[in-house]
Amino acid sequence: MSTRIVVPGERLGPARPDQTLQAGTYLRGGNVVATVVGAVGADDQVSVQGKSRKAAIPTVGAQVTGKVKRINSRMAIVSIMMIGAQPVKEDFEGVIRVENVRATERDKVQIPKCFRPGDIVRAEVISLGEAHSYILSTAKNELGVIFAQSAAGATMIPISWEEMQCPVTGAIENRKVCQIENTSQ
Amino acid sequence: MGRLELLSPEGLRVDGRRANELRKVSAKTGVLAQADGSAYLEMGNTKVLAAVYGPRECRMRSQALHDRAIINVEFTQATFSRIERRPTRKFDRKNMEVQLQIRDTFEAVVDTTIYPRSQIDIYLQIMQADGGQVQACINAATLALINAGVAMRDYVVACTVGNVDGTPLLDLNHIEESQGTPEITLATLPRSGNVVLIQMESRLHMDKLEKTLQLANDGCAQIHERLDEVVRKELRDLVHKVGQHSNTVRGVSTA
Repeated sequence: MSTRIVVPGERLGPARPDQTLQAGTYLRGGNVVATVVGAVGADDQVSVQGKSRKAAIPTVGAQVTGKVKRINSRMAIVSIMMIGAQPVKEDFEGVIRVENVRATERDKVQIPKCFRPGDIVRAEVISLGEAHSYILSTAKNELGVIFAQSAAGATMIPISWEEMQCPVTGAIENRKVCQIENTSQ
Repeated sequence: MGRLELLSPEGLRVDGRRANELRKVSAKTGVLAQADGSAYLEMGNTKVLAAVYGPRECRMRSQALHDRAIINVEFTQATFSRIERRPTRKFDRKNMEVQLQIRDTFEAVVDTTIYPRSQIDIYLQIMQADGGQVQACINAATLALINAGVAMRDYVVACTVGNVDGTPLLDLNHIEESQGTPEITLATLPRSGNVVLIQMESRLHMDKLEKTLQLANDGCAQIHERLDEVVRKELRDLVHKVGQHSNTVRGVSTA
């Protein structure tokens, strides 16, 4: 077998001056040493691919996906389920404050006209917040509601960046809609 | 004084070992499905179960450190683990001391800076106590952390050594411990030889120290060999299983 399997503390080879340390390795006395069990990467840069499980914790600037749990006049409380493309093990709580919903006319925002409980929202982490929750923002075109159900229970279709329509009843509801980039099918 | 003869004239100990012999070490990793990493380790009749959770978000956000992970160790001895049944108390000072020792040991070795604002929990449960609980816990925790995929600079291997009338004895059992034998617990990083924990609670003459520590070091090397064998064997099995599913083994990824 071609892949080399290493254990923590095992020497991978001498460190070159142009080399940057890769995941799963550290430097000890001029040598690159593995820190996890795994297979050594085949490329020139030595790295160790261990268990494919990184600690999924929101960081500032990360794009997250979550479900709106409840709303009030000042904020929408979101249960974060994905960080980037990685699902989290247990949900984190995030808050979209009324001033972070959109980029323009921030003072005219009304939360019930932007989010409803049960909506799936894409947002960005802008601050790690205080004791319990992360502060999120949807003030970008590519952020906002990506999935919502109407009062009739049907999945709504976005008709503008502020409105979604129910295909069953034709009712129009207000949302801060996420502009999803064109995916060629 | 009717003291038990710990080392017979033939050089045998109460359980039939020679002075520089370890007890049988056997271990298994991945024994608990719910934990991120786990291990079960036996050193003779001392049996430990270790479970590692994390790195995960801190339970108490106020404790979180912005530049590295915190390590939390919980050490408990089962009520049925000793000859006399002893109910576990919540704030047992002796247990808390052991927790701190083990936490400090692993903080020196786990690469905590790559997991900022996280917490790594290590739960250690003694199932049967027959001397050398701390060393068994450290060895089991090493296996569990490796199983969890937590980045570590090296294995941590621990070993105890006692001294009876000038003869160092490796890996004391409960009978030998309870005779008031001076006992050193040593934890090292086997590849660099660095010492991360050394602890003794009784008196030992300076002249005997070097020989005793030398034996402890040898013991650590033996345990390292044994633990490495366990890790590599389970890794080979895993690679074999992955290989059966796909012909191109590109990494050791486990669900």
